[in-house]
Amino acid sequence: METITMGNTATKDRVRTPFFHHPYVVAAVFLLPFLIVFGVFRIWAVANAVVMSFQEMEGIGVARWTGFDNYVRLLSDATFITALKNTAFYTAGTLLILIPLPLVLAAVLRSSLVARASAFRSTIFLPVLTSLVVVGVVFSLLLATNGLLNSFLGLFGVPPLRWLEARNLAVPAMIIMAVWRWTGINVIYFTTGLANIPRDMYESAAVDGAGAIRKFWNISVPLSKPIILFVTVLTIFGGMQLFVEPFILWGTGGGPGQGGLSVVVYLYRTAFTSFQLGYASAIGVVLALIIVTLSLVVLKVFGFFKRD
Amino acid sequence: MVVRRTLALADARRVFRLSVALTAGLLVAAGCGGDGEGGEAEPEQEVESQEGSGEKEDIELEFWTFVDNHADFLNAQAEQFNEENDQYNITLNATTIEFAEMHDKLLVALQSGTGAPDLVDIEIGRFATFTRGEIPLHPLDDVVDPYRDELVQERLAPYEVGGVPYGIDYHLGAYVMYYNKDIMDEAGVDVDAIETWDDYIEAGKQVVANTDAVMATVETAGPFSIRGPMLQNDGGIYDENNELIMDNSENVEAVEMVASMVHEHGIATVAPGGDHHQPAFFESFNNGESASLWMPQWYMTRFRDQMPDTEGKILVRPLPAFEPGGTVSTMGGGTGTAITNQIDESKLEAVKEFLGYAKLTYDAQVRLWTELGFDPFRNDVYEDPALSEADPWFNNETVMANLQPMFDRLAPEYTGPRYPEASTALIEIVAYEVLEEGADAQETLTRATEQVRSLD
Repeated sequence: METITMGNTATKDRVRTPFFHHPYVVAAVFLLPFLIVFGVFRIWAVANAVVMSFQEMEGIGVARWTGFDNYVRLLSDATFITALKNTAFYTAGTLLILIPLPLVLAAVLRSSLVARASAFRSTIFLPVLTSLVVVGVVFSLLLATNGLLNSFLGLFGVPPLRWLEARNLAVPAMIIMAVWRWTGINVIYFTTGLANIPRDMYESAAVDGAGAIRKFWNISVPLSKPIILFVTVLTIFGGMQLFVEPFILWGTGGGPGQGGLSVVVYLYRTAFTSFQLGYASAIGVVLALIIVTLSLVVLKVFGFFKRD
Repeated sequence: MVVRRTLALADARRVFRLSVALTAGLLVAAGCGGDGEGGEAEPEQEVESQEGSGEKEDIELEFWTFVDNHADFLNAQAEQFNEENDQYNITLNATTIEFAEMHDKLLVALQSGTGAPDLVDIEIGRFATFTRGEIPLHPLDDVVDPYRDELVQERLAPYEVGGVPYGIDYHLGAYVMYYNKDIMDEAGVDVDAIETWDDYIEAGKQVVANTDAVMATVETAGPFSIRGPMLQNDGGIYDENNELIMDNSENVEAVEMVASMVHEHGIATVAPGGDHHQPAFFESFNNGESASLWMPQWYMTRFRDQMPDTEGKILVRPLPAFEPGGTVSTMGGGTGTAITNQIDESKLEAVKEFLGYAKLTYDAQVRLWTELGFDPFRNDVYEDPALSEADPWFNNETVMANLQPMFDRLAPEYTGPRYPEASTALIEIVAYEVLEEGADAQETLTRATEQVRSLD
């Protein structure tokens, strides 16, 4: 009986907290599945890929150490250089369009110029939700030489362009598709950023005689810097990891005359067609290093490392 | 009593909370595991079937393919087999998986030693991926041998390693020339007078001069326009000794000949869309914008399915030869059905018997034509009534029976360890740069071959 009365006191309760009621244990139980999956499929896989990049794999589990051979081979691999150029061109193209265009669109949609802005935002966002198979079919028709885009350009006297057949138009074709797919999500990011800028700043600027463009350039853009940084880094990630677009546009992944061949497609071919897992890992490691370097440069340029 | 009840309650609560926590954890784990992190789900596990007649042995086979028609064909063959065979009752669990995904899954399954099907379709362009080093497929000598004398031997070569067959195709895939009779008549060309490629080019000039059409279209995003003539001219990617010969002089000559049609004689253009399977090409050929094309026999189905206005107009003829009396065809495309080494040994005899029955018997080869529209690779079936019927779509000619005389002038195709990579290089480097951009055939073939050699 005494136990019961004593058990009601706070001190005793803490002492007798069952093991599985302990907050740390509960947290661990809930986190464990994720940690296991993350550990096995991310950390272990990435670490293994780095190790494999110094090996020549002869079937699964049979490896021979080759030092830096895979990396040296990369330097003189013409296909890798082509893939890297295409990927860089694509990333640059998406950066040039997918940052300013959505930012301007977000600003316009936030302004009083547009009625039913949320309806427009939803419409712009729809491509993000569209199935890739559908996107592939639609863009094959849209970008065909006798397709819709050329018909539209024809109105301005532009001769038909062979978007899907000419090597030098392969990357622009993929950029067009990327712009259609990703503008919506970037508009959402920028809208969120713009919503955090206090209204009274715009009002003060208006009192000082600033027009819409000046307010956008001098208030919206500088104060959206953190979001611009975020979207820039995401766009670099997406661009450098280009993989699905060439496959849905050309089936083989290489595009006309390797004009659409990306680094990841080349990695995939090396791994699954040539079954050179070591070399494919080296491509992956180099790509990861490029992405990290680019991201650090962007962070540095944006002053991310400066102390406020 | 109070104490006991309170403790019991506390215990029950503790057990309940623990179960909830564990269940939630497991659910989360299941959720995480199900998002594709670990690759695709394993194919359904085989369940031993107890169905079937009492005396016959039930054999359940897992079969992967990337073509629905192949699955339908083999399923129908399994039914037929079960009716006729008194030893085995085959149940074929056919799964159709997208082309690249199926070959990737198969590669991983075979390399890791688990998860592969018993029977699988491997496309000719990917076949060599599976025959490098230790071959994870069963040799099919004893399947092929009983039928060997009747078979067009050249069709076995692409799936052989050291003379041992590891795959059996669905068709011969003989290259032919398809002419649009209306355009040829308008141009005043008698297609039966075309014997060599020089004759073909001269006829092409006549077509360009007298009609609105070009003589031919060529693929820059596909292999067929250059690989056919390369093989026909004793070239190709590999020779019979497994040597990579993509840059030899015969290949250079063949590619230069095709390029001359585009850049020198102006009788051919790049196929709209880049290859002969694009909607833009189907539309243009259907509209009579080009007068002919060289593709394998299985392309016949494309006219019926994709180019309705060509009905009655298409003439099927052998390829022009490089020299009078030279080879007038070769083979293009293909899919070898193989038995993987992960099959249960107890099923091996049954599956071999089934594979021979389904692919190589007289009736099976007739059905390759009647069910799939493919050219059989057994010589004796070409006299069968089913293959001797006049075809209204093709100018009321007995197209299939007409093919057979070509078979003794058929250039073989050999594959080798880097055939998949070489095929890709042939399309992306050679076909594109030479036919689209007018690059030098010798230089591009040499460069492409060097790239392939540098892989080893």
